[in-house]
Amino acid sequence: MRYFLNRLLQLAIVVFAVTFLTSVALRFLPGGSDVVVALKTGPGATREQAQAVKHQLGLDRSIVSQYFDWMHKFVTGNWGFTFQTNQSIKTEVVRALPISAFIMVYAQILSLLFAMPVAMWSAYRQGSKFDRFGTTTAFGLLSAPNYIVAPVLMAAFSVQRKWVPFPSIYAGLGDPVAHFKAFVLPVVTVAIPLYAGYMRLLRSDLIATLQSDFITTARASGVGTWSILFKHALRPSLFSIVTAAAVNIGALMGGVVIVEQFFLLNGMGRLTVESIFRREYPTVQYAVVVLALIYVTVNFLIDLSYAWIDPRVRVGRALG
Amino acid sequence: MTMVATDIGIAAPIAVPLTKAGRRRRRGRITMWLAIAWLAFITISAVGANFLPYIKHSCSQYSNPKQCSTHVKGDLLKVEKPPAWAWFANPEKNIGNGPERTGWFGTDRNGYDLFSRSMFGARNSLLIGALSITFGLLLGTVLGMIAGYYRGWADRVIEVVTNILLAFPALLLAIFIVTFSDKPDSTSSASDTRSIGPIIIALSILAVPPLTRLVRANTIMYTQREFVVAARSIGAPNRRILLREILPNIIPTLLSFALTGLALLLVAEGALAALGLSVEAPLPTWGRMISSGQERLRQGVWWPSLMPALVMFLTILAINLLGDVLAERFNTREVIA
Repeated sequence: MRYFLNRLLQLAIVVFAVTFLTSVALRFLPGGSDVVVALKTGPGATREQAQAVKHQLGLDRSIVSQYFDWMHKFVTGNWGFTFQTNQSIKTEVVRALPISAFIMVYAQILSLLFAMPVAMWSAYRQGSKFDRFGTTTAFGLLSAPNYIVAPVLMAAFSVQRKWVPFPSIYAGLGDPVAHFKAFVLPVVTVAIPLYAGYMRLLRSDLIATLQSDFITTARASGVGTWSILFKHALRPSLFSIVTAAAVNIGALMGGVVIVEQFFLLNGMGRLTVESIFRREYPTVQYAVVVLALIYVTVNFLIDLSYAWIDPRVRVGRALG
Repeated sequence: MTMVATDIGIAAPIAVPLTKAGRRRRRGRITMWLAIAWLAFITISAVGANFLPYIKHSCSQYSNPKQCSTHVKGDLLKVEKPPAWAWFANPEKNIGNGPERTGWFGTDRNGYDLFSRSMFGARNSLLIGALSITFGLLLGTVLGMIAGYYRGWADRVIEVVTNILLAFPALLLAIFIVTFSDKPDSTSSASDTRSIGPIIIALSILAVPPLTRLVRANTIMYTQREFVVAARSIGAPNRRILLREILPNIIPTLLSFALTGLALLLVAEGALAALGLSVEAPLPTWGRMISSGQERLRQGVWWPSLMPALVMFLTILAINLLGDVLAERFNTREVIA
């Protein structure tokens, strides 16, 4: 329980620090609030006009009071409106979140779906042709960043063969075909390095597990291959891959900007980055706090999941 | 050690248990030498881009010789020609200068020879990557060793700071740091008017938290080892223990990690470039070339974007391969010893 509270406190500190630092960092971006004014009123605003705009947006107050004002708005759920387009910020975030979530969930499922069986068979038949092919491709795929994969995929499937429209047009689950077409290329782009990472992690962990004594015992007592792989070896080998997958949840929610940008999907990453460029301070802060909350929650859940994966790990023991 | 690749590159390192040295497949010697040869070729081309015969450039049209080193000139008549070997590319469809194909990589819409430009890009990309990983390693090692050796409040402070840095989406962090250096009047998103300094600072800061964690974990591990306990019991000062007992043991891990880190930072530079946050406009880096070619890519002109991408991919692949070889070698040694 003490551990739990300790963790919770640490998480709160991290969230607070991240949002506060974001808020400060944003205000110190070159140009400061003048940029906001310039973007809102256009060039040639008089000093009085600029003052009025600043006052209206609350930018003339101190950074700390702006931060607490923002915090208050965040907690009460009344998030306010964007500076320039006067849209509800909540609507913007709520619109962007599912796009990121779709990409994240599909990419995770797709990569794990391929990575787990390949890793298991590679580890079981270590050194075989299959293993060599598997490790080599994974290695190659890891070296291909998504801004290389994305243009290749696009050139192949949207330009040479016009199978998938470009740019991706967002469609919800209501229209499965359009949904598929909107997400297939971004998801594949994101999933490729994920697959490679997961495959390598699980393979090396499985190899270590398969060498341990209880596997030898199981094999000696006549347990079949499938049973050894799935029932005995898999669970203790999940440690790294679960950690990686969980860390990636947070990273993917906020960090697929490049892919979103490339396929022109308005996910969280793009919302955040565009808002930074347009100096939409509150929007950036809301996006960052949502992402930070996801990150810390996931981190917390990882720690809990260790106990399930490996009962020897007791909560309270330092990990790593 | 394996790192989890995220969008911009660096995430927390995840320890992979060592496997028995003998059972691990040895990567082919030929592959390793190919990787070394490729890296040597790229490095030589990058360093000697101004005078090597196979790299086209013309300095005569620039009054300032400094400009010359950043510009590559092709034959302006050969605007946007596909590579010579690309029999399947149909140039007539694109710009009406006849069906000619030219060069190894073709030319872009400014008539620059893309192969030469890729080599000039290698200079900037590699410089950025190498300097960033060096700074990152220095800072990460110092912080990690302090945290892991002294523990206590120093450890706690460093841990909180690394956690905060890691909780920030990496790309956001990089964007912040890079935009800080912008001139106040730059309000739009894509303002490629930077020197390489801010990019290097941004990338080094990205590299520090994971490296700090790695060094800290290793330091903790070695601090409990018998030789450190022995050194301490004969009264060796902390500085000596850190520098002479612990550091030499961490360096192999760091070296193999440095190569992986270099690859990740090269990738990260490209990610920044894809958002329009790279170096000053005439300076080519691989990332810049890839992203600036994307508009034409949509119209079927693939070589300005995909040829530099190929060079970058091969370089990252080679660096990763060598990093893997190093890691394997050092791990093996550790298992034997």
